[in-house]
Amino acid sequence: MKKLTLAAIVGFGLMSGSALAASAWTGGDDQPTNPLSCDATPAAAAAKPYDGGVPTNAPDRNGKKITVVDVPKLIGIGYFNATSKGIADAAAELGNVDAKTDGPTKANIDEQITFIDNYITSGVDGILFAANDPVAIAPVLKKALEKGINVVGYDANSTPDARQWFVNQAEFNGIAKSLVDSMAAEVGGEGGVAIVTSTFTTPNQARWIAEMAAYAEKCHPKLKWLETVEAQEDNNLSFNQATTLINKYGDDLKGIFGMTSVATPASAEAVTQANKCGSIAVVGLATPNAMKPYVEKGCVKSVVLWNPVDLGYAAMMVLRSVADGTLQPGATSVKAGKLGDLQVINGSEILLGAPYVFNKDNIGQFDF
Amino acid sequence: MTAARLLRHETILAVLTIIALAVLASMSDKFFTPENLLNQGRLMAEVGLVALAMTFVIVTGGIDLSVGSILGLTAILLGVFWKNLGLPLPAAILLAVICGTFAGWINGFIITRFNVPPLIATLATLALYRGLAEGISEARSVRGYPEWFFFFGQGEILGVPFQLWLLGIAVVISGVILGLTPFGRATYAIGANETAARFSGIRVNSTKLWIYTAAGFCSALAAVIFVSRVTTTRSDMGTGLELDVITGVVLGGTSIFGGRGTIIGTVLGLVLIQALKNGLALSGVKGDGTIVVIGLVLIGAILVGALFDRNRGG
Amino acid sequence: MMAIAASPGRTNLQRFLSGYGQEIVVLLSIVALFVVVGAINPRFLSNTNINSIFAGNAYIAIAAIGMSMIIIAGHIDVSVGALIGVIATIAGTLAVNGYPIWMAWTVPILFAVAVNAGVGALVAYTRIPSIVVTLGMLSILKGGLISITAGKWITNMPPEFMIAQMRPFGIPSAVYFMVALTIIAALFMRYTDFGRAIYAVGGNIEAARAAGINPERTVVGVFALHGLFAGIAGILFATQLQVIQSTVPPNLELTVITASVIGGVSILGGTGTVIGSTLAAILFACIGSALIFLNVSAYWLRAVLGLMILATVLADMARRRRAT
Repeated sequence: MKKLTLAAIVGFGLMSGSALAASAWTGGDDQPTNPLSCDATPAAAAAKPYDGGVPTNAPDRNGKKITVVDVPKLIGIGYFNATSKGIADAAAELGNVDAKTDGPTKANIDEQITFIDNYITSGVDGILFAANDPVAIAPVLKKALEKGINVVGYDANSTPDARQWFVNQAEFNGIAKSLVDSMAAEVGGEGGVAIVTSTFTTPNQARWIAEMAAYAEKCHPKLKWLETVEAQEDNNLSFNQATTLINKYGDDLKGIFGMTSVATPASAEAVTQANKCGSIAVVGLATPNAMKPYVEKGCVKSVVLWNPVDLGYAAMMVLRSVADGTLQPGATSVKAGKLGDLQVINGSEILLGAPYVFNKDNIGQFDF
Repeated sequence: MTAARLLRHETILAVLTIIALAVLASMSDKFFTPENLLNQGRLMAEVGLVALAMTFVIVTGGIDLSVGSILGLTAILLGVFWKNLGLPLPAAILLAVICGTFAGWINGFIITRFNVPPLIATLATLALYRGLAEGISEARSVRGYPEWFFFFGQGEILGVPFQLWLLGIAVVISGVILGLTPFGRATYAIGANETAARFSGIRVNSTKLWIYTAAGFCSALAAVIFVSRVTTTRSDMGTGLELDVITGVVLGGTSIFGGRGTIIGTVLGLVLIQALKNGLALSGVKGDGTIVVIGLVLIGAILVGALFDRNRGG
Repeated sequence: MMAIAASPGRTNLQRFLSGYGQEIVVLLSIVALFVVVGAINPRFLSNTNINSIFAGNAYIAIAAIGMSMIIIAGHIDVSVGALIGVIATIAGTLAVNGYPIWMAWTVPILFAVAVNAGVGALVAYTRIPSIVVTLGMLSILKGGLISITAGKWITNMPPEFMIAQMRPFGIPSAVYFMVALTIIAALFMRYTDFGRAIYAVGGNIEAARAAGINPERTVVGVFALHGLFAGIAGILFATQLQVIQSTVPPNLELTVITASVIGGVSILGGTGTVIGSTLAAILFACIGSALIFLNVSAYWLRAVLGLMILATVLADMARRRRAT
C-alpha cells in the first residue's frame, strides 16, 4: 500500500512537474486570444455582418403579450438570481411579457437541454438562455428557431447561428484587461499570482483565463502565474483550495484571482483567516454584497463585475424588441429601456458596457 | 419465486404510470402528443440504455457507480481518437466503445478477482475514469463532427428517433436474456444467494464479469448517442448519471439486495420518471418542484409495493 | 475482523493488528504522505497548513462517523450532503434573524435528528431499502431547499455564531470537535449495549433478534444518531465561512461514504470502526492538499485521487486475504 501510494505520488508529481513547465496558464481554452492594448485605447471595432439565426415563420408578435422562459446555466446561485430579477423587472416594466426563470440545479448541459426542450413543447414565444456549453446547446436552440420562437442569449453564448442575438456583458479581453490591470496595480507590477476557478470545462472562465494569460504576457510580463485550481461553485471547497495555495507558496504568492462569484469571496475569506490581508491581493469577479465585508475592511481593493441585474434587464428588452420586429439584422444599436441605447458588436452581439470596477468608495451603493 | 410474485411490483407500477400519464395529459394538452412522446423517448435513451445493464448489476446484488464516468471517458476518447490521433470517425467510435467496455471489464475484474465490494470498487473507478477523462482532454472540448455522425443522436427512422429503436432492441434483448435464458437464471441465483449459487455449479465470477462489462458497453453506447445528440464532447458529460439510473431501476422494483427485478419494471420506472419530468414542466411546475415530486414518488411507490407485499403475507 | 471477535491464543499485538488493520494502513498512509510531501516541500508541514487541512475538513470526518454507524448497521444514506446543506441554511437563517445563538446551533441539529429518525423509521418498519428512502430524501431536501431559498446567500452572521472559526489555545475548534466526537463515538460503539447492538444488527439481523435486540428500534436509533453527527457537521460547515450558500454542497455524500468505506467499514455491515473513518477523512484531506503541493497537473488531479482510492482498497483486500 505504502509503496503503491508513494509510487503514485512520486510518479505523477514528476510527470506533471515536467509537463507544467512548458504549458500556458492552466484552465485557459485553446481558442485564439485578442489582448487589448496596454493603455486605455479602445480596440477598433471591425464591422461584421449579422451572423445570428432567424426563426422560421415566426408569428407577428408586435405589441402582443408574449410568454418568455429564462433558462440560466443553473438556478439557486446569487449571480443568476440577479439576472432573473433583472428579467422580471424588465417584464414588469414592459407590461406585455409573462416571464419566468426555470433551470437545472447544477450546471449540467444535458439537464439544461431538457429544460429548453420541454419549454419549446409547451409553446413559449421567447427563450432567454445562458449556455453551459456553446455547441451542446445549439441543436435544441435551432429547434426553437425552427418552431418560430425568438431566442436571445445572455452571459454565456451559443454558436451564433443557434440564436438571434446575444447580450454580451463585457468582452472577454475587456474583463481580462480589467482583472490583470487591477492585480498589477495592487501587487506593484510583479510577483506570483494564482487562480481559483470553477471548473476547467466552464467556457466563460476558460476564455477569461486564456485572455488574461495573453494580456499579462503582453502588458505585465513580471506577473508570474503560479497555478490554477478548480473549486466547482462550492464555497467551502474554494476556501480550502485558496488556503492551500496560501500555505504552499507562502511569501511567493502576491495575489489570487477569483474567477467566479463564489471563488472570489471564498479566496478573500481565506486570505483574511490566514492574516494575510495587505500582503496577498484578491482580485476577481464577484457580486458586491458578498464582497462588502472584505472591501470595507480593506482586505480587497477592487472587484470586477458588470451589473447582472442590468444584464438580465437588457436581455429581456432585447427579446421584446426582436419579437416586436424593431430589432432587425444589420442594426447598429438597440434601445434597452432605462439603459438607453446599447451598441451592436461582432455581428449579432449587444454590448452591455465596459466591466465595472467596484471599490471601497462605491460598493455601498449596490445591492445585489 | 412465481411469475405472479415477481410481477406484483410491476403491476402496481404500471397502474401508477397509467394514472400519472392520464393526470399529466389532463393537465397539459401538449403532453400526450406523438411528437412530444417520441421526443421524450429520445431524451431518455441514454439513461435507459445504462439502466438496462444496471438492472442486471443490481439483480446480482451489486451496484455500478462508475457508469457516468465511463460515459464521460468514452466521449472524450471518441473525440481524442478522431481529432488528435486523426483516426477516421467510425474507427474512433469503435475504439472508444471498446475502451468504455474495457473500463466496465476492469470494474468486473476488480470485483471478482480481488473480492472488492462493488460499491467500493466503482466508487474508486468513478473518480478514476472521470479523472482520466479530465486529464486526457485537459478539459478541452472536441467539436466540429461531420454531419452524418449526428444521425445517431438526432436522426429518425420511420419517424421514430434512432436511439429509441436502439433502446427498444436493447430492451427486448436484455428482457429475453434476464427472463428466459440460463444466464438470466444465474443472475437471479447470484443475487439471491451467492454462496449457494457457487455450490450449485453456477460460474459466479464469469457471470458477474460479463455483467459489469455489459454495463461498460451500454455506458459507452450511451456516450456515442449523447455526443451525437449534443454535437460536442466534454469531460464532464454524464456527471450524476449513476443516480438517475439507479433511481429508475429501484423505482422499477429491482431489489437493491439482489435476487429480484425485471426489465419491464425498469422500463416502467424510467417511463414514469421521464413522464413526470416532462409532464410537470409542461403543466407549469418548475424544476425544483419536479425534483421533490420524483423523490416522493420514489419513496411512495416502493412503500406501496412493500405494504402490498406484507398484506399478502409476503 | 472486529477486535471483540478476536480469538484467544494470539498475542495482544496480533489481536490489535487484526482488529485495527485497516485503521493502521490508513494511519501509515497519512504518515507516509506527510514524510514524502514534507520532504519535497517543507511548507506542507507548517503549522498553518496542518491546521487548515484538519479544520477545513473536520465536518467531513464528523459526518463520516455517523455514516460509519449507518453502514455498520447494514444501511446507507445518500442524502447526507443535502441534509448538511439544509442544516447550514436553517442555522444561518436563525442566526441572522436575531434568534439566540444557542438556538441557531441546536434547532438545526434537532431538526436533523428528527428527519433522520423519520428516515430510520421508514427503513426499519416498512423494510424499504435505505438507499431508496435516502435517494428519495436527497431529491426532496435538494429540491425543497432551492424552492424555498432560491439559493439566496446568507451573510452578516453575528461573530459569536461562528463556532468553527473560534480557536481555543490556537487550534481551530472544529479539530476539537472532530477528535472528541471520534473518541466518544468509538467508546460508545465499543462499550455500550446500543453500540454493540448496531454491530449485531448489521452482522446478522435474525441472530441479533434472537439475542434479545430489537432491530427496528436499533435502526431508528442509529439513524437518529447519524442525524446528530450530520447536524454537528452541518453547524461547523455553516460557521466556517462568512457566507452560507443555501444550496446542497456538490458530491458531499460521495466524499463522506468514501471516507467511511476506505476507513475499513464493510459495506456489507457488521464490521468497521469510527476511528478508521475519521482517519480516512483526514487522509483524503491530506491527499487533496498534497496533490497541490506536489504540483500534480490540475487536469490529472482527480485521476490520481481515483488511483489512490483504488490502491487503498486493493491493499486492504490483500491484507485481509493474508489475515485469513
